[in-house]
Amino acid sequence: MHSNRLRKQNRLFLQIVQWVLFAVVIGICYLAETSGSYHKPLMLLPVALCIASHTGELQAMTVGVVCGLLLDLACGKLLGFNAFLLVICCVLISLLYRYFLRQKLINMLLLTTACALIQGGLDYVLYYALWGYEDVFLIWQRIIFPSCLMTAGSSVIFYFIIKKIAVTCGSHRINQLEKMSISEYQE
Amino acid sequence: MLNFLKSGKCKAVLWVLALLIGLMLYAVFVGGYTISSVALFQAVAAPFQKLSNSISQHVEYGLDLYRNAEDYSEENRALRKEISLLHTELADYEATKEELERLQAFVGIKEKHEDYSMTSPFDVTGYVTNDPFCAFMIDGGSEDGISLYDPVVSDMGLVGVITELGTHTATVTTILSPELSVAAGTRASGEKGVLTGSVSLAMDGLCKLQYLDKEVKLKKDRIILTTGENGLFPAGYVIGYVRETGMDDTGLTAYAAVEPASDLKNLSLVVVITDFSGKADSDDAQ
Repeated sequence: MHSNRLRKQNRLFLQIVQWVLFAVVIGICYLAETSGSYHKPLMLLPVALCIASHTGELQAMTVGVVCGLLLDLACGKLLGFNAFLLVICCVLISLLYRYFLRQKLINMLLLTTACALIQGGLDYVLYYALWGYEDVFLIWQRIIFPSCLMTAGSSVIFYFIIKKIAVTCGSHRINQLEKMSISEYQE
Repeated sequence: MLNFLKSGKCKAVLWVLALLIGLMLYAVFVGGYTISSVALFQAVAAPFQKLSNSISQHVEYGLDLYRNAEDYSEENRALRKEISLLHTELADYEATKEELERLQAFVGIKEKHEDYSMTSPFDVTGYVTNDPFCAFMIDGGSEDGISLYDPVVSDMGLVGVITELGTHTATVTTILSPELSVAAGTRASGEKGVLTGSVSLAMDGLCKLQYLDKEVKLKKDRIILTTGENGLFPAGYVIGYVRETGMDDTGLTAYAAVEPASDLKNLSLVVVITDFSGKADSDDAQ
């Protein structure tokens, strides 16, 4: 009984540590997004997707809302634009990883590329192309498309960071603890 | 997967999506004003943004030195020749003195233009991510006496206008943006046109002075000033310098590519002109 309570406390502590570390990664990415005038990847997008691949649907949705709203603030977009998109992407990715996909880098790379292109495409159409600016394709060619590629590329880094956090103190570790407790019980 | 569609979780996701649509509609409804909760978040995040921005500026400076070392070396040699020709002495200035001089430059604006009501200088807290027109955020807002569509200037020249306003932060759209039109011209020869952003020129950090008389031949380095005709910007403020000229696609008018006097990609301090003679109402400005 006593050891069960201890394990529960252990699980709760690990979960808290995991989400605090996720929040730190998200915070650092937001600050990096809003620093400097150079073009950069939308780091919050791969971070949200990587976290979603390790969590349930509701947690994925929450991460999508938070990262999306932060992305809206950083990119100066209509509040909710990226959040709406990221909620859909994160929930879909959480479901895909639950039912069909395995934790492989190539899966995350392809999914991030697809999401970055959808986000970049919508951004380009709604914020630039629709307004009929002259030579508007240059914005896609020189800013949005390279940014999509950089975003997809940055998912390699975030995939390993988020995986490390999830494996060390997230669901994987909790499963291990549960297996240990079952084997102890059987012994 | 089908279980998810039937579950309460799916309903929760749909509720959140509906909420986000509501948020977007509300954000559109409030126009250029920042939603209060966002303004609060921005106020909390501002010191961290400043810190990370200063780190990033140092990194950018280092990378720039590394990448363009050859160009800088040549430029340095040319400058040395120029210096020897002019027999000018160079002196190093301490950081505090440099800062003081920059602030004195802002005082100079006030001395030159007595009709201006200006705020104290604001720090640039960060640039809008991947914005092709170099929009940026400052650490001043409505509490500091700023209003929507107030002109923003640096000690070098016109920068842009306030297009989103919070209590302690504001977003500035620069003169590189096609959303902005400024009545502009030259003082010496009196040519007038409309200065606006152009996507292709913005990629090179330039903007476009269009609708010039096709007979007009503007020389390179000619200074372009605001004419103050639309009431959005004060008259007689430096915008930039002519870099090249050409004919519009229609062949009816000429245009000039103008390089802003302020380095819009590396701004650190700006001031907001809150009032000036001939200022139009906010609704007219919009």
